[in-house]
Amino acid sequence: MHDGSGLIAVQNLTKQFGSVTAVHNLSFTVSPGSVTGFLGPNGAGKTTTLRMLLGLVKPTGGTATINGRPFHQLGQPGRVVGAVLEAQGFHPARSARNHLRVYASAIGVPDAQADQVIGLVGLGSAADRKVGGFSLGMKQRLALATALLGDPQVLVLDEPANGLDPEGIAWLRTFLQSYARMGRTVLISSHLLAEVEQTVDQVVIISRGQTMFYGPLEQLRQSQQRRVLVQPSDINALATALRAEGVHAIEQLPDGRLAVSGVDSRHVADSALKAGVSIYGIQEEQVDLERLFFQLTSGQYAGHAPAPFKQQGGWA
Amino acid sequence: MGNLVQAELRKTTTTGLWWGLLIPTAVLALGWGLATGLLGQFFVDFASSSDVDEVSDFLGVTPDQWKVSLFGMARAINISTIFPMIFGAMAISGEINRRTITTTFLTAPSRMHSMLAKMLVYVLWGAIYGLVIMLFVGLGVVFTSSAGQLPDAGGWAMLTLVCVMSSILMTMFGVGVGALIPNVAGTIVLLLLYFLVIENVLHGVLAYLEVPSVIGFLPNGSINGLTGSVAVDLFLSTAGVVPPEIEDVLRAIAGAAGALDWWWSGLVFLGWAGVVFAGGWAVTQSKDIT
Ligand SMILES: Nc1ncnc2c1ncn2[C@@H]1O[C@H](COP(=O)(O)OP(=O)(O)O)[C@@H](O)[C@H]1O
Ligand SMILES: [Mg+2]
Repeated sequence: MHDGSGLIAVQNLTKQFGSVTAVHNLSFTVSPGSVTGFLGPNGAGKTTTLRMLLGLVKPTGGTATINGRPFHQLGQPGRVVGAVLEAQGFHPARSARNHLRVYASAIGVPDAQADQVIGLVGLGSAADRKVGGFSLGMKQRLALATALLGDPQVLVLDEPANGLDPEGIAWLRTFLQSYARMGRTVLISSHLLAEVEQTVDQVVIISRGQTMFYGPLEQLRQSQQRRVLVQPSDINALATALRAEGVHAIEQLPDGRLAVSGVDSRHVADSALKAGVSIYGIQEEQVDLERLFFQLTSGQYAGHAPAPFKQQGGWA
Repeated sequence: MGNLVQAELRKTTTTGLWWGLLIPTAVLALGWGLATGLLGQFFVDFASSSDVDEVSDFLGVTPDQWKVSLFGMARAINISTIFPMIFGAMAISGEINRRTITTTFLTAPSRMHSMLAKMLVYVLWGAIYGLVIMLFVGLGVVFTSSAGQLPDAGGWAMLTLVCVMSSILMTMFGVGVGALIPNVAGTIVLLLLYFLVIENVLHGVLAYLEVPSVIGFLPNGSINGLTGSVAVDLFLSTAGVVPPEIEDVLRAIAGAAGALDWWWSGLVFLGWAGVVFAGGWAVTQSKDIT
């Protein structure tokens, strides 16, 4: 049957809904042992991709496999992959415990497993209440409990943080990391990089159904140029001195500081000393992943966004 | 497969729908049993008091021995099995409406496995509904008819058999339609319209066109034929020699005009249920669950 590798492989995956191309020639792989973030703005095609991976939506082209097999060849899929999906429904009149028992029998695990996962996600005290009265966050927890019923090797979560309280998000973060550390595969989608930044090791970033970046999050961080923000006594003198040394990526910020790219803070301080300019404050900017994510996923605007800042500088 | 059957069974027992529909089923069955029993008794009393000798000559026995309750029971069963059909119709369309179908498909080896497991569970429910219908129809009829109009033990057994079969088949038909038209309201409206109005109009048209035998091949015609033919057979078995014209009238009274033999009728309707289920399967198999 399947190879037990825990590998997710998406290859040239395409989905057309009538005239809408939801996913276009998407390829990436997800390995066990780490948490992979699947990122893209609303409508990028994340849900469609995950549903194709889970055999719920038929691809127009390409393949998506788990453990080397398409979903419908997994045999007992509930024991291989667990999934939390958007718009996954519950019968409002069924209690949480009964909901889990239904699917425990479908997967072929004992009822005790249902009671165990319900405690694990923190719904123990609400187990015998009808799901119709649950909050969005409680439903999200119940969906996660359902996904965990079969103790699956692969976990696929579509925007699981939706509706969760901060405590729930923090809990989910630690849970997913420890799950991955057991050598399992975790794929988690989100439209906010900041939301999963502290959880994921790898990222797949998509926009309009296509891959924009795919690799370790660290690599994405390093691809971002750090800027040095400096408050000099004489802005024009420092800018001229830097430009004389071949440093041209200089912007004036609205707060009156200069933002210098391509060199470190030491370089800027040395140049200021040589030019006889005092420095009242200097710092290296934190990597703004969210801005990078925005640039990656809305390509057409990326070139124009910084422009207003440049025009403010009289020396440019 | 056993796991999935247990899961589907649990789905039906963990919500109130099964008794929510079973109660009106029982009430309807009892009501029809009482009403048709009264009507039959009234007819027998009328036939006994007036000089309708010709008819009793035809039937070979005196009116107080006519087993008229059989016709009422056939009718009562036919109308009551609408409920198990609706119960079946919600099996798949209900899951699509509530979006629980996603989890169902995520935990089954294939969509076909899910659908077959569902079908098996609903066959069981069809049988349970059938037994309840027979019980309440029987109660109603026994309460209002005198002993002469009631069938013997063999007759009761035969009626129970076809009632349960009819209920199972109607439930199966509902499951198929619910998969074919994945919308709860649409499915129920269509089924009620078809079984209560459309096909009855069609029967009238076919009778007018003098091709009543076609009726026995239609869905409602065949399922009514299953119970109606048994009722007519049981009636005739105690009534002596009956001319063909009278037999046609009796069939019409039993709701089995133009129907085939009971077991043929059952097979024809099973065929319809199979066709609808195959269509529902084809739709479900290729459907994008988004
Ligand atoms: N069933 C559907 N029919 C038509 N278009 C759809 C359907 N499902 C998704 N889409 C379209 O496909 C695109 C991708 O949607 P989706 O996969 O839900 O994106 P995401 O999850 O990243 O927000 C969107 O433009 C959406 O409108
Ligand atoms: Mg989505």
